[in-house]
Amino acid sequence: MKRRLSIGWLFLVTVLAAGLYSMAVRVFKGLGASTHLSDQFPWGLWVGFDVLCGVALAAGAFTLSGAVYILHLDRYKPLVRAAIMTGFIGYLAAIVGLLFDLGHPYRIWHPLIMWNPHSVMFEISWCVTLYTTVLAVEFSAFVFERLRMTFAARAALAITVPLVILGIILSTLHQSSLGSLFLIVPSKLHPLWYSPWLPIFFFASALAIGCGMVIVESFLSSKAFNMELEVDILSSLGRVLVVVLGVYGLARVIDLTDRGVWYLVAVPGFERCMFLAEILLAPIGAMVLMMMPNARKNRLGLFMGGLMTVAGFILNRFNVSMTGLVRASGTKYVPSWMEISVTLTLVVVAVALFAVAARTLRIFPDAKPCLEEGQTCKDKPSCCLVTPAKLWILAIWVAVGMLIVNAVRDFAAYQPAAVQHEAVQRGPASYPVLPKTLTFTPSADSPGPVSFSHETHHALGACADCHAGRFSILPRGTHSGAGRDMHAPERCGMCHDGKAVSNECTACHAVP
Amino acid sequence: MQFFENHHKEFVMTAKGLLFDVTRCALCGACWLADKERNELPIPDGDFTGDRLSDTTFLAIERHGARGVRHSCMHCVQPTCASVCPVAALEKTSIGAVVYHQERCIGCRYCVVACPFCIPKYEWSKQLPYVRKCDFCYSRIVAGESPACAAACPTGALLYGERSALLHIAHERIAAGNGTYVDRVYGEYEVGGTSLLILTDIPLEELGYPTNLPGTPMPSLTWEALVNVPRVVLLGGAILTGLWWLTKRREEVHAARKEQQ
Repeated sequence: MKRRLSIGWLFLVTVLAAGLYSMAVRVFKGLGASTHLSDQFPWGLWVGFDVLCGVALAAGAFTLSGAVYILHLDRYKPLVRAAIMTGFIGYLAAIVGLLFDLGHPYRIWHPLIMWNPHSVMFEISWCVTLYTTVLAVEFSAFVFERLRMTFAARAALAITVPLVILGIILSTLHQSSLGSLFLIVPSKLHPLWYSPWLPIFFFASALAIGCGMVIVESFLSSKAFNMELEVDILSSLGRVLVVVLGVYGLARVIDLTDRGVWYLVAVPGFERCMFLAEILLAPIGAMVLMMMPNARKNRLGLFMGGLMTVAGFILNRFNVSMTGLVRASGTKYVPSWMEISVTLTLVVVAVALFAVAARTLRIFPDAKPCLEEGQTCKDKPSCCLVTPAKLWILAIWVAVGMLIVNAVRDFAAYQPAAVQHEAVQRGPASYPVLPKTLTFTPSADSPGPVSFSHETHHALGACADCHAGRFSILPRGTHSGAGRDMHAPERCGMCHDGKAVSNECTACHAVP
Repeated sequence: MQFFENHHKEFVMTAKGLLFDVTRCALCGACWLADKERNELPIPDGDFTGDRLSDTTFLAIERHGARGVRHSCMHCVQPTCASVCPVAALEKTSIGAVVYHQERCIGCRYCVVACPFCIPKYEWSKQLPYVRKCDFCYSRIVAGESPACAAACPTGALLYGERSALLHIAHERIAAGNGTYVDRVYGEYEVGGTSLLILTDIPLEELGYPTNLPGTPMPSLTWEALVNVPRVVLLGGAILTGLWWLTKRREEVHAARKEQQ
C-alpha cells in the first residue's frame, strides 16, 4: 500500500512539474514553442480535450439539477451536489485551458463587449460566461452552508429554480453550439463526423456524459473516501442512460444512412478505426451493458457503463476536432509533450479540487460495505457481476484497445498528401524570371537586326514601365515587332529619344 | 439570411474585385514583390515561386509549368472568417476588402480553422500573435488607387475593377478563347462568390484551389443553427417553467391526498 502510494505521488509530482514548465514556455515563448499547432492544424489537444471535453464532462450539473429542481425527481437529490460541484470545476478547468490556448488570453472578455451575433464562438462565449456564473452561485450555497452563513445560503437557495431553468437553457445552447462550431468546415471534416446534425449530437451526448460522469465520480469517490454508493439511484440513472444513448445512436444511424457514408467504414485508415472505437464504447457498449439488469444494479457494472459513456464521447470529441480534420489538413498533428502535460496538469488539479471540496463540503453520505459480515453473492446478487456482463465489458474494452492500436499504426503509416502539383517545377534561384533575349527580324531598310535584352532593360526600371501599356506580354520567345515602326514614341522611341537614352542606330541595331 | 442578402445586394453594387488570368501571367514576380513592399514584409532569397502563403507572405505565385497561379485572400462576398470571428475582428468592407482589426483579436484561430481557402495565417512564433493575410490594399483602395499587386502587374494578368465588370470581361474572354479556357470563372459561385476571380487554361483540379466547395455562402451553415437561439430561450423557458409547476402541483396534490386518508 505504501509503495503504491509513493509511485502515485511520483507520477503526480512529475506531471505537475512538467505542466508548470510547459505553461511557462507557453506564456513566455508563445504557441509555436510549446505546441505542435500550425496553420494547417490550428486547433489541437487544448481545444479538443480541455474545452470540448471539459464542458461536456461538466454536463451532469444541468442534467441532474433539472431532474431534481424542475421535474421534482427527489430520488436524485443525493447526487445533485456532487454534479454541481463537478460542473463548476469542469467549467473552470475548461476556461483555464482556453486561456492557454488563446493567442491573447488577457482579451478573453472581448466577446462580451465586441459583438458578432453571427459567430457560434460568440454565442458560446456568452453562454459559458453566464453559465459559469450560475454554477458559481449554486456552488456558493454549499460553501455558505459549511461556513454556517445561514442567511447567505438561504438567499442562494431561494433563487435555485430560476437559476436552474437559466442553467438548462444556457447549457442546451452552448453544449449544442460546441458541435455547431464544426458546421463551418464541410470541406475539411471527414464525412463520418461532418453532419448537419452535429449540434444535436453534441447536445444528446452531453446529456449522456452528464449521467455517465455522475456515475463514474460517485464510484471513484466511494472508493477513495470510503463513502456510500447510492446504487439504487445510480441504477435509475443507468436506465436514463439507456434511453439517451438509444436516441443518440438511432440519430447517428439515420444520419449516416441518410448521407450514404456507411461505405467509409470499409475504407482502410485511422478514421475508420477511431470511428468504430468511438461508437463501440458509446452508444453500443454502454447501452447494452446498462440494459442488463444485473449490471445496472451492480457497482462495477454501473461504473463500467459510466466509464464507457465518458470514454466513448471523449473519443467522439477528439474525432470531431482532430482525427476527422487530419486528412484535409495536409499535415499530421500529434500533440507535443508540453500540450499533453498542460492538459494532464489541469486534470490533476481538477480532480484534487473535487477531492478537497468533496471532503470539506460533505457532499457524499458515509459508506456501508455492499456485502455485510457473513453475506455471500447468493444472499445479495447485486453485489456481484454476472458472467455475461463481465464478458461484454471485457469484449468491448479489448475491441476498443485493438481498434485504437490499429488507428495509431495506420496514422503512423499515413503520409499527408503533399500540396504539390505534378506540373510544378522549380525555377532558377532568382527573380523575376526574365524571358530570353528577343531578336527581331530586320525589315528591308534596316541597318541590322535588333536584339532586345530583358536583363539590361529590367535593370533600368520596373516591368510596368513598358508592360502592359506600350508592349503587351506575349507567349515567351515571340514578339509583336514585325511590320511596326519601333522608332515611334509609343514604342522603343519612348525612351530611345536621344535625350534620356541614346537613339544612335548602333545602340540597338547590330551593324555588320 | 436577411442580413446576408441585404449585405450582398449592397456589395454587388459597389464592390471591387480582381481578375487573375492564368494564361497571361508571365511569372515575373512583380505582384509578389509589390505585396512584400506594400506590407513591409521580409523578402526571402531564392526563387519567388517557392514562397508559400505564411505570416510573412500574403500573396504567393505557384509555378505550374510556364504558368503562374496566384494564391491570396479571396475576399469572399460573404466571408466565412468574418462570420465565425467571435469579436468581429475580421470585417467585410463595402468596397469588397476583408480587413482585420487586430486590436480586437483574442487569438482563438477559428478563422484559420474555418476559411475554406486556408488563407489566414497565424504568427505562431510570437508571444502575442496575430492573424496575417492580404487586406486587398484597403488603404490604397480607399485613396482611389488600385491594389499594389494589380498596379505592378505588367502583363494585364491581374485586372482590378468592379467585380461585376470583371465577371463580364472573364466571360467574354472564355467565349473568345475558343476552348482555350476552362469554361468556368473560379470564384464566381464558390462559397457564394469571391472578389478574386480566376480564369485558367489549367484544369481546376490541378490549380491548387479547393474544388469541393459548396456554391452557397458558408456563413449560412452556422447561421441556420444560430437562428434557433431565441427559440430555445423562449420555448425552453416556457416548457421548463411549465414542467416545474406541473410536477410541483402533482406533489402537492399527492401530499394533500395522503393527509385526507
